[in-house]
Amino acid sequence: MPGFLERIAGKLKSYREPGYYTKLDHKWTMVIDLDKCNGCEACVVACYAENNLPVVGKEQCEKSRAFSWLRIERYVEGEYPDVKVKFIPVMCQHCMKAPCETGCPVYATYHNQDGLNVQVYNRCVGTFTCATYCTYDVRRFNWFTYKWPKPLEAQLNPDVSVREMGVMEKCTFCIQRIRSAKDTAKDEARPVKDGDIKPACSQSCPTGAIYFGDMQDPESVVAKLAKSPRRYRLLEELNADPSVIYLKRVMGDGTSSHE
Amino acid sequence: MKRRDFLKFIGIGGVGAGAGFVLGKVSKPPGAKLIPYLIPPEDIVPGVATWYASVCTLCGAGCGTLVRVMEGRAKKVEGNPGHPVNRGGLCALGQSSVQALYNPDRITKPLKRKGPRGSGEYAEITWDEALKTLAGNLTELKSKNESEKLHLLASPLGGTIDRLAGEFVSAFGSSNYSHYGLFQRKNLAFANLSAMGTASVPHYDIENTKYLLSFGADFASTWVSPVNYSNGYGKMRQGAGERGKLVQVEPRLSLTGASADEWVPAKPGTEALLALAIANTIVEKGLARDASAWRGVLSRYKAKDAASVCDVSVERIEAMAVEFARTRPSLAIAGDSVSSYENGVSGAIAVNILNQVAGNIGIIGGVMPNGDDLGNGKKIDFGRKISTLISAANAGKIKTLIVYGANPVFTTPKAARLEEALSKVPFIASFSSFMDETTAHADIILPAHTSLEDWGDDFPDPGVAAPVASLIQPVVGPVFDTKSLGDIFIELAKAVGGNVAGKINAPNFAEYLKASWKGLYSRNREMAAGTLGFEDFWNKALQRGGWWGPSRKRTATVSARAGEHLAGTPARFEGEEAQYPFYLIPYAQTAYMDGRGANLPWLQELPDPMTSVVWGTWVEINPKTAASLGLKEGDMVNIESPFGKISAPVYLYPGIRPDTVAVPIGQGHSHYGRYAKGRGANPIEILPFKEDPLSGEAALNSTRVRITRGATGERMVKMEGSTKELGRGIVQTVSPSEFKRMKKEVV
Repeated sequence: MPGFLERIAGKLKSYREPGYYTKLDHKWTMVIDLDKCNGCEACVVACYAENNLPVVGKEQCEKSRAFSWLRIERYVEGEYPDVKVKFIPVMCQHCMKAPCETGCPVYATYHNQDGLNVQVYNRCVGTFTCATYCTYDVRRFNWFTYKWPKPLEAQLNPDVSVREMGVMEKCTFCIQRIRSAKDTAKDEARPVKDGDIKPACSQSCPTGAIYFGDMQDPESVVAKLAKSPRRYRLLEELNADPSVIYLKRVMGDGTSSHE
Repeated sequence: MKRRDFLKFIGIGGVGAGAGFVLGKVSKPPGAKLIPYLIPPEDIVPGVATWYASVCTLCGAGCGTLVRVMEGRAKKVEGNPGHPVNRGGLCALGQSSVQALYNPDRITKPLKRKGPRGSGEYAEITWDEALKTLAGNLTELKSKNESEKLHLLASPLGGTIDRLAGEFVSAFGSSNYSHYGLFQRKNLAFANLSAMGTASVPHYDIENTKYLLSFGADFASTWVSPVNYSNGYGKMRQGAGERGKLVQVEPRLSLTGASADEWVPAKPGTEALLALAIANTIVEKGLARDASAWRGVLSRYKAKDAASVCDVSVERIEAMAVEFARTRPSLAIAGDSVSSYENGVSGAIAVNILNQVAGNIGIIGGVMPNGDDLGNGKKIDFGRKISTLISAANAGKIKTLIVYGANPVFTTPKAARLEEALSKVPFIASFSSFMDETTAHADIILPAHTSLEDWGDDFPDPGVAAPVASLIQPVVGPVFDTKSLGDIFIELAKAVGGNVAGKINAPNFAEYLKASWKGLYSRNREMAAGTLGFEDFWNKALQRGGWWGPSRKRTATVSARAGEHLAGTPARFEGEEAQYPFYLIPYAQTAYMDGRGANLPWLQELPDPMTSVVWGTWVEINPKTAASLGLKEGDMVNIESPFGKISAPVYLYPGIRPDTVAVPIGQGHSHYGRYAKGRGANPIEILPFKEDPLSGEAALNSTRVRITRGATGERMVKMEGSTKELGRGIVQTVSPSEFKRMKKEVV
């Protein structure tokens, strides 16, 4: 009996160590080509539609409580007439060494076997710790239970739960689409193919700037793009090992802004 | 099961045509009728999604969509990957069409006016009463021999519904059917008519061009066919070939301008002269490919003269000319900064000439003219302007006005005095699904379905240099007590009787549409390929979202006759510079477009891509100008033109000329539902009433304004903190020369 308890204790302990996962089933990765992105925000609305994100209204927006799991950041350099504008879509980076995961007192956020940083709504007690630890400011908190005026609620996606007050949430890489693609593949007794899964943002993108796939499949589009000399990751020096890879924008004066 | 399998399933089962009706039965409001799930309809399996192919109608681009439906409810609208217009993408506005369908502020039943006009006070009536009232009014008109006094004003409809509406009006004995809307791009169509013989917007092959010179074409947000062009843009930047370059000429840096390699902030109103000066420089330097017809005309537009007028240096004009002519293929597109002036046609023609001189017409990566591929004979009547309607109303020539889709009370300036003209129309009926500002003037409202509940078809204009016919099918049953727009016309025709009923004798619009496609099928032999007769073709078209054929290569020459319409002078702005020091640029914003998106909560909460402002209007002012006026961000100011005054908070915007201010169009609604009403300001109100005399397109960039303090109003809320990266290397870049040396990834 003591041996069994020790095994469990040992297992639990290993979960607290970064890198406990020795082998992942998949490593879902997103590649975003900043040279294609033109900042149109179609992805943002697609995310609202797919993931049942509530509309909070002007007053709540002013308190930075808007729900967008995905936002387009826009940076401006220079003065008229030499103005340079740059866009970057930022969502949960699904860090492999995620700061948010170590902080949660109730294990509501953890790393799953697909390499995803997932949030278990039923466990979340709303301590806000993860949002404080997050490097990328992508976690959103339900300050209220939001309502959809009738009949707007008819649009809600039944594959995604509607969250209530006190729960933290964030981009899931459209885990419901990943699940459904895996189920289909299982039914057809085959592995998930590259291109089977498109998160809502990637599906809607008019310029085709957002790619998604399994990094463990060397033939996948993302694995090939990840080798691009334009590759970089957001705030890489913080060593959170994000799963979102950006491809640098090709731009005028050419000084890389971070050397 | 995958989406594609579902589509096959629907097509083969032959239920595609009836799917909407099947769904209609189960998705009626609770209590209407319950269908036991013991023997469920074949396309309703709880928890399993069905996808229907349709077309987005929120703007005129005609993007193909796939709508995800579960248990009879539309869940998500996505781009149809097989559709040649959008190839899988869909913009923010299109994604939001489910919120138009399930909008809490839709008109749920036919209404009859209770309060005074414009008050929006109505009483609910039955469809029978509504149709009888309108038909009674029309019969009376007919009996008095005043058929000509019926006017139908619609948004730029296309396809079969447009034909039905036209047939209804002409069978009734009236010739007054007009289309109105902002951003109809009639200037482009007119310029192409006079230059190339077809009144349509050509296909701009952005995908394959290597040098894109855009005169204020904001195709990343709303210009003409945004998803199609954005798709091309992505491939131009990082496609198979060499990376293409984008140069944007406009006084205010638009969303598209933000992605440009070079921004040329020419003085407002002079961009057409800049285009001609570039063309002339190409000719003078001997780089022209085909300038025989234009040498004489162009010689008047010297780069050195244009430089001072346009506020662009001679060196820059020459550099642009050389690069434009030498880079193959190159492409110039006439966006709002040449075509939104009172002589917008002239600007669009100037850009046509530039393309002609550089040899860009009819080539891959250039301008690819579109023709009437499927023999629809679609014509734009340039003579039918909103000004003709207003003067007809004032002269008592309109007894009954039917409005659908168009919202001229919101989209025409106060100076047009449209509301006064409407007060002289004895009877106004609206078929709108929403209480917009024009519908609020109606005496009777017969609410039509939204496009997710209705049948229809679409022939995209601009086309994609290939024949395309798309089908709109109902994906869910009616949410409220509304009717198909086509059915309203058909039932009205029956109620009016006589030759109107004789002319339009289809049992319903679905049948009318099918008959119309039968004609299309028999006229176009290509459509028959690979089908077993019309029924098979119809089911396949419903399954795919329509029919499209292979690309057709056409060429055209900009004829010298087009030169007649060249203005040769900068566009005029109302207001003296001393009193009104700033040019006003009202622009179409990504989410609201011409105001139609303002009632959709997702779009209100969508941060504006350039300013991050939500839920309101703002005025963009250059930081230096603001400093000289003593203004800081968020200050409320009055924006005053010779025609009126609005107020908005200041946003400090470095991407705008110091002598220019810009205000987004779309807010400032007095009706239009809880999300839009009483929010922000409408810059169209303070414009002069000007339209291009040739095309009838509204001239939005046509007044100067002054900025004064002392206004009150709503606070500005923006989502961003700093606009600076503060050395954190968030968006990293490589230079074009560095990029050329890089090994290209192959995917």
